[in-house]
Amino acid sequence: MQKQKAPAVIGDINVTPMVDVMLVLLIIFMVITPLLTKGQTVELVKAKNPIAMKEADAEDAILIAVTRNGEVFLSPGNHRVTPDELPGKVSDLLTNRLDKTVYIKADQRTKYQAVEDVVDFLRAAGVDELGLLTEQLTSQAQPGQ
Amino acid sequence: MAMNVGGGPQANINVTPLIDVLLVLLIIFMVITPLTPYGLEALAPQPPKKNQPPPPENDDRTVVIVIDKQGNIQLNQEPVQKEFLGPRLEQIFRTRAERVVFVKGDPDLDFQVVAQAIDVARGAGIDKIGLMTPKIEAGE
Repeated sequence: MQKQKAPAVIGDINVTPMVDVMLVLLIIFMVITPLLTKGQTVELVKAKNPIAMKEADAEDAILIAVTRNGEVFLSPGNHRVTPDELPGKVSDLLTNRLDKTVYIKADQRTKYQAVEDVVDFLRAAGVDELGLLTEQLTSQAQPGQ
Repeated sequence: MAMNVGGGPQANINVTPLIDVLLVLLIIFMVITPLTPYGLEALAPQPPKKNQPPPPENDDRTVVIVIDKQGNIQLNQEPVQKEFLGPRLEQIFRTRAERVVFVKGDPDLDFQVVAQAIDVARGAGIDKIGLMTPKIEAGE
């Protein structure tokens, strides 16, 4: 019996599975990216001197979004609320927390009235530290501090 | 084997440029994803406790940035051009240890006008910025 000759060794890497994986990863990232912005999407004010607020990205961060037409959304949960519901809900969320900062994400064209109302009702909930979320102007890139 | 046939047409697609493009896209998306939020810190002054004496009046030292309906800025009673707000604040607070200002904006203003004033104050090195609201003024 004669042994059959083995086929010649293929020198190329088979890249097809790799391309598959890459494509899937790419699609996953493309899908996830828009979902990562928490709460309502608003057009943030562009500021020159903001500081990094990593805590605002935390899962349990208290984030209040004020949209252009003055609607108020409370995260976590992204529920639509009226400003006068805020004291109760926010003080519930604040119990047993060390960091009492509440983040406000207000649209740049919303009336200051709406933001003022939110601040007033937050004061009633005992909040005294606010973080007004802004976008950093990249044209004058500075370190985060 | 087909491999050994010299000069024959190659049936494989050249995937290398495709992979290059995909990798670059992948890296772009991975970099974009963890965008850290940026923000301006502000304080909402709490009313003095009932059984506590009100804070001593030191009007000459309190600095309030007032922005009226037209977006004109006043520092206490002194009108200031928008572009001179930062330098003026720096000048006022140069000799002070406690850098506190209050910002009072007209309710009809766009939020961005007020936020920009806060931004300028932050840039002038003010570390405590209090938001004055009508209720705070009323002492509630």
